[in-house]
Amino acid sequence: MRPQSFEERIERQFDTICKQTLKYKARDCYRKIKRQVEREVSFSELSEQDLAQLSVSDEYFKDAYSFNVLGYDITVSDLSLAEALDTLPADRRDIILLAYFLGMKDWEIAERLNLVRRTVAYRRTSTLRELKKFMEGHADE
Amino acid sequence: MNKAQKSKNGNPGLLPFPVIVAATGGDVEAINKVLKHYKGYIIALSTRRLYDEYGNAHLFVDEELRQTLETRLIAKILTFKVE
Repeated sequence: MRPQSFEERIERQFDTICKQTLKYKARDCYRKIKRQVEREVSFSELSEQDLAQLSVSDEYFKDAYSFNVLGYDITVSDLSLAEALDTLPADRRDIILLAYFLGMKDWEIAERLNLVRRTVAYRRTSTLRELKKFMEGHADE
Repeated sequence: MNKAQKSKNGNPGLLPFPVIVAATGGDVEAINKVLKHYKGYIIALSTRRLYDEYGNAHLFVDEELRQTLETRLIAKILTFKVE
């Protein structure tokens, strides 16, 4: 076999690299397509339940409990949560509502209720525990 | 394969050396020559078979895939080093 010239070697190298690149890229693309086909579901094939998950409908003050704290009206749309909140003593409930529904920090609440910050923090966590116990008890019934 | 695409030493299916050097240097005309050279292979790779609702097979060229491959080839050409 006669030795290849430099030019011929490059020509062959180039050809191989081009073909290889195309082949591997095509393989990648086909894998991608295959993955997509496996996961893709047509809209018409979705069950009603799945479809419902994709949409949101607004509900305005429908069966919502409302609490008044420091002049703020806070509505709670979850019925079981509202019932649980209703059983709490008013001062404890206020802390929970201010912290989790209005997003206030402990020191902000403390300032408004004339308490020490640590008192607010303690009451908040202990009330949360109580709330959890109450709601878990209800769920078991 | 027409005669213009044959290498001067008579190897069919290989691009001539000057074209390769020009293409790796970013010469548009040479890159087009390379693309033309591999056009058949690209089309063969991007031909897909689909089945309709009656189970009949249809062959078609996936344009998106064809363009992806073309782009990939151009990117590769530009990184090729003649040495």
